[in-house]
Amino acid sequence: MLHIEHYSKTYPGGKKAVDDLTLHVGPGEIYGFIGHNGAGKTTTLRAVAGVMDFTEGTITIDGHDIKKDPVQAKRVTAFLPDNPDIYAFMKGIDYLNFIADLYDIPADQRTADIGKYSDAFELTDNLGSPIGSYSHGMRQKLALISAFIRRPRLLILDEPFVGLDPSAAHIMKGYLSELCQSGSAVFFSTHVLEVAEKLCDQIAIIKNGKLVQSGPTAELVGDSSLESVFLELEGER
Amino acid sequence: MNKFFVLLNVSLRSMLLSSTNSRGRSKRKAATGLGAVFLIAFLGLYLSGLYSYMLMKALAPSNMEVLVFVFMGMVALVGGLLFTTFAVKGVVFGGKDNDLLLSMPVPTTMLMVSRVTAIYLENLLFAVFVLVPAGVICTFLTQNGVGLSLLFWMRLGIAVLALPLLDTALSVLLGALVAFLSVRVSRKALGQNIVMGIFMAAVFYFSFHLNGMINSLAENAAGVKASLTWAAPMLWMGEGIMGDWKMLLVFVLCCVFPFALVVMGLGRGYRQAVTAFAARSVQSNYKLTAQTASGQKKALLKKEMQRFFGTPMYFWNAGIGLIMLLAAGGASLVMREKLLAYVEMAGYPFPLLPMAAAVIGFGLCTCPITAPSISLEGKYLWILRESPIEESSLLWVKVGFQLLLTLPCTVIAGLCISIAFGFSLRQGAVLLIATLLFAIGHAAFGMLMGLCFPKLDAVNETVVIKQSMATVLAMFASMAVLGVAAGFYYLGSKTAPWTALALPIGVFALFATVCIVILTRQGPALLKKL
Repeated sequence: MLHIEHYSKTYPGGKKAVDDLTLHVGPGEIYGFIGHNGAGKTTTLRAVAGVMDFTEGTITIDGHDIKKDPVQAKRVTAFLPDNPDIYAFMKGIDYLNFIADLYDIPADQRTADIGKYSDAFELTDNLGSPIGSYSHGMRQKLALISAFIRRPRLLILDEPFVGLDPSAAHIMKGYLSELCQSGSAVFFSTHVLEVAEKLCDQIAIIKNGKLVQSGPTAELVGDSSLESVFLELEGER
Repeated sequence: MNKFFVLLNVSLRSMLLSSTNSRGRSKRKAATGLGAVFLIAFLGLYLSGLYSYMLMKALAPSNMEVLVFVFMGMVALVGGLLFTTFAVKGVVFGGKDNDLLLSMPVPTTMLMVSRVTAIYLENLLFAVFVLVPAGVICTFLTQNGVGLSLLFWMRLGIAVLALPLLDTALSVLLGALVAFLSVRVSRKALGQNIVMGIFMAAVFYFSFHLNGMINSLAENAAGVKASLTWAAPMLWMGEGIMGDWKMLLVFVLCCVFPFALVVMGLGRGYRQAVTAFAARSVQSNYKLTAQTASGQKKALLKKEMQRFFGTPMYFWNAGIGLIMLLAAGGASLVMREKLLAYVEMAGYPFPLLPMAAAVIGFGLCTCPITAPSISLEGKYLWILRESPIEESSLLWVKVGFQLLLTLPCTVIAGLCISIAFGFSLRQGAVLLIATLLFAIGHAAFGMLMGLCFPKLDAVNETVVIKQSMATVLAMFASMAVLGVAAGFYYLGSKTAPWTALALPIGVFALFATVCIVILTRQGPALLKKL
């Protein structure tokens, strides 16, 4: 589903944020991407989502190269940044329709999906209010709903659990599993190692822009815990 | 006391920059703050210098100079209110640093007083720029030489210091009302647009009728003065400045008392007020019904429309030209006889057609809708970047939105002016072709400027819409193009009449073509780089 091959990103000034990263995410997989602050997780996710340009390597999503065929690649993806700023001048329902229009989602399907996800995240009653009046958690939920209604083949999430209440986080995990059962893939970064350990089929650990370990969660963790493995690889234990 | 000045400094910077956490470099921040001061200075000096002179010339012969200070006092009071009422909402009640500062070991009253003092200082600045020029003009134009004494300037100084106290008290009360309504009214933008519309209508009315008002004032100054009981404090101030110390004392008390009352009242419940005004008003009554689908371009266009009409700052700054175009068209029909009389008074063949084109062109220059639109995406740009849309589509939708607004207004203005001045069919067609070409070039040029001078990290819309390089260039460089076209008209008129018309059209066609070609070839790449 997602193929990242020898991807590197150098910022102006020469700082290499990501160095020769190669990883593959298969259909139906939940892939966790972990690392310390500034390790290059967000830089990688933004490049995969086509939000940020890069010079070295290739990234293909469902067979579409994000650089050569960005529109087709983006058609099958949904990206959620760590702090989703959404048009404050729109109402919640207007934003969902705006996204649905950009992705050519038919009227029947969008009505059904908006109802399903906004009911689940308990946001339906508030969809008529301007987004400017939403709390951080409500904005996060709206952004999640806007991602789910696209029925993406690849869902890219940057720190999705930040700002969500435990109930919403539980609902989101359920929908992530449901999405993967339909053959889609989820690629997300997190600092919550317990969640990553329980939720992910595969995990990659990045340090200073370089991939230091990746593989199936069970193999990577073994008899230990993800926290122990992570701290060992980070050289903090 | 040190803490007070630190807090005052923060509030002042917050007010002048509209935010304290600007990420711009310090030089740029200082320039932005100075820009705001210059704007106040320019407005104050212009309003006061021009109108004080006109009023003083009309009133000095009948020894009614006091009315100059009455009216300039009103200008300072109303101008100060306009500048600071919304600042009160942001600085005194809705500061982004409320949580931080209220959690610090600083008395709440000190925090409130420091913020109110910042508002007072801005009002003081406006009062200085309005009343001091009136004093200077009084010095030179009064019949009895009252303005030449040191005591006159002392009295003026006291009035200048006192008036902003009254202004601040009123703006704090109005600002509190605005803050209160902001969290309770669902259609805030509509309300603000209506208030601004009423204000603009009043400004237009005042501008059109100013000469008549000054003439009738000169004829019946004593009667007007007697009828000003509703503006008694301003009358006391005027009498005080002109020599009546008792009246000045009454005026000072009239300013100090409400100020003290407001400060003491606010001091008692400041924390409660800040908490109440910060409460969100999310409605919880939405019922989901069947949604309808539309295409990508329609969705993008609708978003541009929602932003433009839903952001009063954007609408009234980038859309004022649209109103001017429609007003020019309407006024040319309504005031046709007067305008033709002015043309006849000129005494020589007046170049009506190029003048009409220049008026429409100027109106279009004041509609830089595309120029700030990229910067306005700012923190929201990720939404468009991750969406399956071509960069070129995004840009052309923005250009298309400006044209959707400017082209109909241009046609209406052009048709009205053509009918009013009796242009022939050929002349009318030339006017429309020239102005429509300019409108297209201006929209594409503004988009290019927006891409070349983006301000994606701007702290608020004001910085982008009023103070960005893109907006300034979209307005003034386009005016330069008008100037070039006027030059070609002049050169053409020296040869043959048809060249005088063809050359400016050629300039506008070239302007539009060059901008469109550059935008098509370079625009998407520039957008990708942001």
